[in-house]
Amino acid sequence: MKNQEQFNRFIACHPHAHHSFFRRPHWDRRAFFKLAGAGLTGSFLTLGTKQLDAAEVVAQAQVITRNTAKHVIFILMEGGPSHVDTFDLKMIPGVTPNNLNPERIGGTLWPTALMPKLAGHLGEIAIIRSMRSWALVHEIGRAWMQVGRNPNAREAAIAPHIGSIVGLEKEPERLAHQVFPAFIALNAESANGPGYFSGRYAPFKVTTTTAGLTNITHADGEARFAERYSQLQLLDEPLRGTAITASPLGHDAEDMREFYAAANKLVHNEAINQAFSFTPEDSARYGSDSFGDACLVAKQILAARQGTRFIQIAFGTWDMHRNLYSSLPAQTTRFDNGLSALIKDLKVAGLYDETLIVAGGEFGRSVGALNGQAGRDHYLQQSFLLLGAGVRGKTLGATDPTGGQTIVPGWARERDVRIEDIEATIYSALGINWTTIRQDDPLGIGFPYVPFSQDDVYGPINELWDRTNTPTPLTGGRRGNSGRSSLP
Amino acid sequence: MNTYSLKLVLLATVVVTLAAVALTDRVSAIDEANNCSYFSSSQRAARTRALLEPHTASALTVKVANRLATVTKAQQTTEAETDTIDRHLFDTMAAAKVVPAQPCTDLEFIRRVTLDLTGRIPTPERIESFLGDKATDKRAKLIDELLAKPEWVDKWTMFFGGLLRNFSNPGFIPARGENSRDAFYQWIQNSLRTGKPYNQWVTELLTTTGENSATQGDLNWLTGMLTFASLRVGVLQETYDQQALYAADNFLGLKHMDCILCHNGRGHLDEISLWGRNARRSEAWEFASFFSRTDVVQSGDTGGGGGRPTQTGQYAVRENTARTNSDYFLDGVELGNRPPRNPIGSVNEIKPRYVFSGKSPEAGERYRVALAREITSDKLFARAIVNYLWKEFFVIGLVEPVNGLDPARLDPDNPPPAPWTLQASHPRLLNDLAQEFVDSKFDLKWLMHQIVNSRSYQLSARYDGVWKAEWERLYARKLVRRLWAEELHDAVAQSSGIVPTYTINKLPPINYAMQFPETFGMPVATIQFGAMGVPIPPTGPPPPLAYVTNFLDSFLRGDNATSRRDDEARINQALELFNNKFVLERVKAGNPNGILAKSLSLTDEQLVNKLFAAVLSRPPSESEKNLVLSNLKKGSRTEQVENLLWTLYNKVDFIYNY
Repeated sequence: MKNQEQFNRFIACHPHAHHSFFRRPHWDRRAFFKLAGAGLTGSFLTLGTKQLDAAEVVAQAQVITRNTAKHVIFILMEGGPSHVDTFDLKMIPGVTPNNLNPERIGGTLWPTALMPKLAGHLGEIAIIRSMRSWALVHEIGRAWMQVGRNPNAREAAIAPHIGSIVGLEKEPERLAHQVFPAFIALNAESANGPGYFSGRYAPFKVTTTTAGLTNITHADGEARFAERYSQLQLLDEPLRGTAITASPLGHDAEDMREFYAAANKLVHNEAINQAFSFTPEDSARYGSDSFGDACLVAKQILAARQGTRFIQIAFGTWDMHRNLYSSLPAQTTRFDNGLSALIKDLKVAGLYDETLIVAGGEFGRSVGALNGQAGRDHYLQQSFLLLGAGVRGKTLGATDPTGGQTIVPGWARERDVRIEDIEATIYSALGINWTTIRQDDPLGIGFPYVPFSQDDVYGPINELWDRTNTPTPLTGGRRGNSGRSSLP
Repeated sequence: MNTYSLKLVLLATVVVTLAAVALTDRVSAIDEANNCSYFSSSQRAARTRALLEPHTASALTVKVANRLATVTKAQQTTEAETDTIDRHLFDTMAAAKVVPAQPCTDLEFIRRVTLDLTGRIPTPERIESFLGDKATDKRAKLIDELLAKPEWVDKWTMFFGGLLRNFSNPGFIPARGENSRDAFYQWIQNSLRTGKPYNQWVTELLTTTGENSATQGDLNWLTGMLTFASLRVGVLQETYDQQALYAADNFLGLKHMDCILCHNGRGHLDEISLWGRNARRSEAWEFASFFSRTDVVQSGDTGGGGGRPTQTGQYAVRENTARTNSDYFLDGVELGNRPPRNPIGSVNEIKPRYVFSGKSPEAGERYRVALAREITSDKLFARAIVNYLWKEFFVIGLVEPVNGLDPARLDPDNPPPAPWTLQASHPRLLNDLAQEFVDSKFDLKWLMHQIVNSRSYQLSARYDGVWKAEWERLYARKLVRRLWAEELHDAVAQSSGIVPTYTINKLPPINYAMQFPETFGMPVATIQFGAMGVPIPPTGPPPPLAYVTNFLDSFLRGDNATSRRDDEARINQALELFNNKFVLERVKAGNPNGILAKSLSLTDEQLVNKLFAAVLSRPPSESEKNLVLSNLKKGSRTEQVENLLWTLYNKVDFIYNY
């Protein structure tokens, strides 16, 4: 497995960007500017209020993007699902319960009792089994997923969320009537932020309720609000800055201007009302729980076609250190209900083929026998799901009989899939050049959308779109053994 | 999943199981330390260079600089008593050739210092008398006046309620109901009101015993650390660990104790903490062992079911002197939130020992008494509270994050070996101020007095000339901060003249949000919890005051439990100020108690001046006045006056302290 070895060597030479430490503080953007100032050029701040745009970049390579997706729904399965009991099912005698009703569907062993509805969609879901996480600490793993790089690395202090990058890249395509934020985070209070990008690309964080958003109507009437808002703009411009003048109070005040501009567009907007509120009947179709509701609202947001490109849904908790088999069914049922209803509704709305859905946790769970509390602990090997936007149903890659490590990568780079590759895949699907290196970062070092893109270390998983199926794993094979060469 | 295991799983999410880290996926700690690009010497050199490099000042900056009086050595010595802060800050700026901002104006000062000390905006009357006062020491006099106000007690009761984690939210904690929360709240309030020395606060919290947490407030720091794992499955070490963790975090600014309670520092803290990289789990056990003779038990109502305390239950903290072989024990039990505490060879019991002094309780001395003595006499204790409070006034701590102190990198007379550097941005300042705080007999009010009297604190937030981000850590201008949720609420209430009244548990009626006993679910809970602390989905219409709770929550006041107060800006904060009923009902001229109803008879100009003074604590500029006066002539005057008040509540200089 030459590529894997090369990759491992690269990591050994670049340890910091790849290895995490226990809860090292990572700074949000504001704290970063406050703390790390000494080494900065300050370029972002001295830009005044100038907006970053998609042009100030260097594309490292001529790349061909897939460009099949217009939107992304990113489901973060917080806590880390047990891959060997779900998406990479291993029937372990005496451990795995007998009542999971495992079925082989199109070559994929699937726990039909846990996720009966998704069993019917397996023909269109790609399951990546050769995926490996970097970190076993929840906070670090989650941040890693959202900024697509080590949250403790230097550039991560300024790194925007993938959704913020998508928002900025797609901003030129926004039509005049489209007023929703580009990046919306549902039930994800602690989602990462816009990094060094403007507040315009920050996640709009919403907790789903049947009533929709609060405080989006002005009790004194729409006309009154419009008058008040325009008076406010005129009165406050000198202090919060404008498109061409900086605020004398600094970037906090300028960010506030961005948030106010965004909020203004949400007030008295019927589309917002419709997208964020829902009936108990609709909720019931999605399983009547917070994850289902988030899927429902995500679908409604996309159907509104109001400029939202990236929706993150936080869905916890899969952190089953104890009593795994009594906790898992309820959680997989929620997933099964929500995601299957989402697939159906996106199809009805004509959105499925242009929406990439990505689902996975920050890591997998330990394999083999259960721990002393009948649970599974954190583990690097994991599985990831991708579907929609032309992605073909298939199982990509394979693990050893325990599920502990990859024996078949199942894709061109011939190594474990990493979250950075998923990130590149998302960009490629959206037609964004994943090798972009921005030259406007406050560190003055160049900010790559995907780490090490100048060295082509990570890249999209094009096999997701291919018709051909992945090879069948060799039983008993180990990483790097000679069995690999016999694979196509 | 049964509810008990759900709770443990929830708890487990904040604790990390590291046993599962595959060795093959770790680079050895030594390699990491040597190769680390984060702390590479070249990068460090670049940073230092950037700090020291002379920069080309803009013409304006030079002009401003020439206008400023230079600080002479003579001035420094004559002002030595109050000048520790200024001496260190201005010396560092001078060494970096950075010109500080101009001093703030009297108007900027009175709003800033009134908000920072009391959480309220100044009244128009006080602004007027302050501006009219020609005395040269009028700022100092104002400071003394503010430090004596009951609002000062309110604001810092809120602050310490957050630091000491006073909450009754059953989603997180088994052992503190509303009555106990209020008792703790009143204990904090009383400690501030009576000027209790801070070392005495902490000694009381650490050493107390008593039977009823609902009436004896000081029991509630310890009872707040009771864990489900201790309560339900008898893993008593979980509670000792929790008490140790927060003793370290709250009193020593040492959050890394949390890491060490699970595993040694090597391989985890190598890059962050020089102390932590070598710290061993057994040392954290020795720290936790100071709590091993302490029992937290339910002393009243036992109706919680299955051993779970009720919200209204009472707790006792008892000293268990009768135990034999009952110090922190290593029994290898796998239950609980941290990795099993396995015996070290034949050692299965850990005796208390304070990691930084190596001292243990003396013969016959109660363990917690010894711990309180060791903590409060540790320089780290003074540094921690100085740093915590510094951040509240200067927006950035001398060490950040404020609970991330590295004990091995704080003493300027004993600097760490290269490539480590001293941790604080101004190591001598932190050290000297901490020493002076000790000399003041741990007087919190003295410390705040020193800070706000300094010229550094009184610099303007505006900066003439080109500003560089890296000067923020030099404190070369006053950094702005968004008002706390409570400060915004109270500023709207006070300036509008329409002051609400809230009833919280059995406390006297409350008018201002800063007087709430905790941050979660105030003034009404919008989330309900079931029997095991599991949230119940809302049904039916929201409670009548839910809109106030939502207003306050949107400004991220935290929950005093797991989420800290945050100054992040968000879109929905704008929506709250636009549309929340709390604001809109206060910009109505029809309310006879409101400032608008009482001002309609004024001339336009008088009215504009009055609203600006009441809300923004300043008169309008000429251009603002012209703009606003022309608005008042459009359509209904009453409506335009309402519009004006609404716009003032949405102005950036209302929302920020500058």
